[in-house]
Amino acid sequence: MKALRLLLITLLALLPATLGLTGCHSVESWDNDYYGNFDALWTVVDEHYCFFREKDLDWEAVGEKYRAQISPDMDMHAFFDLCSDMLAELRDGHVNLSSWFAVSYYREWWSAYPQNFDWRLIQERYLNFDYTTAGGMSYALLDDGKVGYCYYSTFSAPVSDAFINDMFLSMRDAAGLILDLRDNGGGELTNVERIVAHFIDEPILAGYITHKTGPGHGDFSKPYPYSYDPVSAGVLWLRPVIILTNRSTFSAANNLVQVMRRLPNVVVIGDRTGGGSGAPLSSQIPCGWSVRFSASPIYDADMKLTENGIDPDLHIDMTPESIYEGHDNILDKAIELIVSLDSGTSDNYTLKSAIHQ
Amino acid sequence: MTGFFVAVLTVLCTTFAAVAEDRIRVGSTYDADTNSVRLDTLLRPVLSVYSIEAGTAHIAQTYLSPLHNSGAAIALGYDRSQAMAFDPSRWVMSLGFRLDGARTFNEPARNKVLWDMSLRASWSMMRRWNVGAWSFFAGGHTALDAGAQYVPANGNNPVAAKASWTIGASAAAAYHTALARKPLTLRYLAEMPLTGVFFAPEYGELYYEIYLGNHRGLVRGAWPGNFFRYSGLLSADVRLGSTILRLGYRLNISSVKASDIVCNNVGHMAVLAIASEWISLSPTRRPSPQARIISSLY
Repeated sequence: MKALRLLLITLLALLPATLGLTGCHSVESWDNDYYGNFDALWTVVDEHYCFFREKDLDWEAVGEKYRAQISPDMDMHAFFDLCSDMLAELRDGHVNLSSWFAVSYYREWWSAYPQNFDWRLIQERYLNFDYTTAGGMSYALLDDGKVGYCYYSTFSAPVSDAFINDMFLSMRDAAGLILDLRDNGGGELTNVERIVAHFIDEPILAGYITHKTGPGHGDFSKPYPYSYDPVSAGVLWLRPVIILTNRSTFSAANNLVQVMRRLPNVVVIGDRTGGGSGAPLSSQIPCGWSVRFSASPIYDADMKLTENGIDPDLHIDMTPESIYEGHDNILDKAIELIVSLDSGTSDNYTLKSAIHQ
Repeated sequence: MTGFFVAVLTVLCTTFAAVAEDRIRVGSTYDADTNSVRLDTLLRPVLSVYSIEAGTAHIAQTYLSPLHNSGAAIALGYDRSQAMAFDPSRWVMSLGFRLDGARTFNEPARNKVLWDMSLRASWSMMRRWNVGAWSFFAGGHTALDAGAQYVPANGNNPVAAKASWTIGASAAAAYHTALARKPLTLRYLAEMPLTGVFFAPEYGELYYEIYLGNHRGLVRGAWPGNFFRYSGLLSADVRLGSTILRLGYRLNISSVKASDIVCNNVGHMAVLAIASEWISLSPTRRPSPQARIISSLY
């Protein structure tokens, strides 16, 4: 009994001591006023945003500059605009502040450049409104079946292997494929792998991904190399591919270009892509607004960052004359290149050479 | 931390070794013909408890958001306990399954939902001491937990997964009395994991990177400093004929910190359960008239 009493006393004494010592880990909290919400927003970005060094941005100074502009008398819309302006300093298309009355965007990654794309024009003048569409992809044959054309508008819509197989089978007599990624603002990165798997016949190094390991601006993990495998059962497209890009080719679409352009049978035509190579995360601040930001940098297979875009192999802008005449001269060039190839001898050397002439 | 793990394992090994040496076969008889111990003079009913719990949850998961969330929680549980065969009067074991769910909202705006779901399977073994109307229990448990927290508003990182396997300490005190001439047992059961392993991504690691194949550092060693959990159940069991009604209150505290990601979860639950004790009998082998019944709790 003595031993039992001793055991019970020990247990009773240890329990509160353990509770007191370990308890719940603390979580920072902020007041739900303008200053509290501003500080929460600034801190979330400060601790999680991944491109401070690449953009050479003094986030402390940015925070001080905008915090000084807060006034308790300002209305909520003005406060939202102030926070949006602070986030715009990141110069990042992946950064948004979302409230119930507005969503902020940084648009200069595309708004300062020609659009170089008109889907209506392509549908009307090239496709005659006759094309197959599903899962964000629309395709048809051009120029008497010599050219396969596929417009992929968004990575947010699911794309299936079955659909891609069917598309490639319908293009089996075409000399080459035009993959139009203009105005594709990205979406699910997993769709990149699904698409690339149909363009490779052996595993390829797709790139490197890293992530933050702590709240410091320089706290990053060792880059992790990741690979893509060919589709295990399905149709492979190993003929020439021309990818069309513009400044609105962003995020996952930029990532697809980053991987595909390294393939020997692929060239890129159009304008520089919009970039966006940081995989984003979302968070919240006390007033219920959401903030999204780049959190995890993805590098290409040469360990180069494409956050600011990828230059095409052949830079072409749509000209006012061609638009006036109802032509997409970027698409025209791609068709011309594929048609000029003898389908029996077309290979990477021919396509790349044709572009550089 | 390594020293802590070694200490815990040493204590557990010592305890179980002591059990093996110290066991006394109460109620068993020795059969000289077969040179074996017969236990047919001892009946060990299984106590089955089906419970439903409802209450509140207070959650912070900094991988998803720095905000605190609070809301309603519900749980379903099944617990099966029995006196152990090797020393039924002193040792009891319990096997439990539990499904927890919570629907919480961010504070103070309460405009975004955070769902919390988890599944738990646990097994415990405790030494019992009977002192008058009191029973005291102390021992250990092991548990497998898996679940996820889900914030639909977080488009790119909507989910934080949780998984763990832990070994810990369990203790209980029960007081047997009567209420309106019906047997009443008041009990407090406490459980706390001491060591184990748990899943945790790094600070800003995307699940997409894990999907791509980077599994480095996802499994962490657990100790109360980084993986603190405490579960306390205060219950009153009233025997109504062959059925037992259990009313109680459960406090769950969980606080996990790894790679500067904190996940706190505090739940207060009202417990309503129906329990019964049952014995499996073989039609070809009747129990001995001298059979003694040893319950796992009552």
